[in-house]
Amino acid sequence: MGIERVQCDYVSLDETFEIGKEKYHGQQYCHIYFARLHLMRTLLYSLVPHWKPNFPVCTVLELEEGKECVIVGTLYKHMKLKPRVLDEYSKQKSVVPLVKPHNFMHSDDYLVLEDESGRVKLSGNIIPPEYVTGIVVAVLGKESGAGDFLVQDVLDAGLPPQIEFPLKSGEDKYVVLVSGLSVGSSTSNPLQFQLLIDHITGHLGDEKAQLFASKIVQVVFAGNLVEIPHRILNGQNLASEDFARMSEPIRELDILLSQIAAGLPLDIMPGPSDPANFSLPQQSLHECLFPGSSSYNTFRSCTNPHCFELDNVRFLGTSGQNVDDLDKYSDAKDKLEFMERTLRWRHLAPTAPNTLGCFPFTERDPFFIESCPHVYFVGNQDKFETRIIKGSEGQLVRLICVPKFSETGVAVMLNLRDIECHALSFTLDL
Amino acid sequence: MASTGNMKGFYRQRKTTATKKSSKKSPIPTVIQTPATSSGGRKLDLQSECNESEVVLRQFDLNMAYGPCLGIARLARWERAQRLGLNPPQEIESLLKSGKVQMESLWGGRI
Repeated sequence: MGIERVQCDYVSLDETFEIGKEKYHGQQYCHIYFARLHLMRTLLYSLVPHWKPNFPVCTVLELEEGKECVIVGTLYKHMKLKPRVLDEYSKQKSVVPLVKPHNFMHSDDYLVLEDESGRVKLSGNIIPPEYVTGIVVAVLGKESGAGDFLVQDVLDAGLPPQIEFPLKSGEDKYVVLVSGLSVGSSTSNPLQFQLLIDHITGHLGDEKAQLFASKIVQVVFAGNLVEIPHRILNGQNLASEDFARMSEPIRELDILLSQIAAGLPLDIMPGPSDPANFSLPQQSLHECLFPGSSSYNTFRSCTNPHCFELDNVRFLGTSGQNVDDLDKYSDAKDKLEFMERTLRWRHLAPTAPNTLGCFPFTERDPFFIESCPHVYFVGNQDKFETRIIKGSEGQLVRLICVPKFSETGVAVMLNLRDIECHALSFTLDL
Repeated sequence: MASTGNMKGFYRQRKTTATKKSSKKSPIPTVIQTPATSSGGRKLDLQSECNESEVVLRQFDLNMAYGPCLGIARLARWERAQRLGLNPPQEIESLLKSGKVQMESLWGGRI
């Protein structure tokens, strides 16, 4: 007797991340910064009267010494240790050691606020380790005699408005989130991934386990699906056996994914090590790479970042580049805190295009978060972590750090009914 | 000052040279031929470009409220301003759609 798998309504919201008709005709990044500043400033101007009703709002150029006011602009963090292309050409020995530190923070870093009229250095009640270049904020303070702006208080946009969480019938429906399969790398164990596939498709365990597996409605692979050996990618001429080695990981992945696609819907997102474009938003991996899996209509190749709705529960996720970049230029107690900050700043990747590769959009900023997701996940992290955060208007978001499967053997199971999640661990003690 | 026919309406100044006036043949504006300037095929005679509509369009280009003008065509910039709710003046749109004006910003092709 067969058990039927539970079904779910899926809506893709990736249109904003598709480059599609955007053209590159030599434009620079000033346009995306302009779009970002304009969008966020309009938003902040509507929030400022509620936040500090008795203070005037002015532009940077209109600042007068001693006049207390609110200014809105883009933050720029000047970092002493941030690697600069020009350092390679400087004749004297640079201060920066040759071995690059993981994090480029320094106690001398300072923040500058910029708008179209000018820029002003910030001091006072604003802590550089918490901020990065590219965020738009409102600050209250006054210009000091030395020419800096002495900050008294900072306002960020806060969590965006959220669609109400759908009240369900009480049926359990699970979504599996995995990332960092790294098929083809020396650390990935094909047996471990096969175990995961067998568990999800219901080929493992007794009837109870199969019943549980039948409640899984969707699998999402959040980046780093393959890892191609680096020496093949460094631009040298390849021997004939190298061509096979280059395409083998993808072919192996296709065979494995088609086993899943035969059973239930799956989404794949490209990550830093996948054969997709380097800059964000990464475009979907072409279906010609997956001749086996793409023949199933359950197979969906998606962009990174990826936004979709399952039964009206909104998901937003990335393959990790946005949070990893924040980790290099700022400080937080854990990765979840970086994720929370991106939501409160209403911007998925504020360091793009400064230190994170990005397409030079001219008319919009696709990383602006308009609607608050119910579930926000980030892939390729070191360990599984999760937390729920609350917004000032009753928004509730489940934050999930999805760990690298090839290193931890851990996938994440999320219940759509109540947004609870737990780890699914596959260990092999051989 | 070495003189050639193009000096009128050209803003750049040159040092007075003690040598003969007529030895230089190259046109003064293009001291360095960058690919940007040579590919446009546009005349660098700035005087004739300063007619009324061009002046209006240049003011539009330099207006910071509508964002940077570099690397984006004037009509595209106008439409972007429209879409972002900045209410750019209608005359600019009709001027650009009339087709008799330069479609690129004043820095177009030169930077």
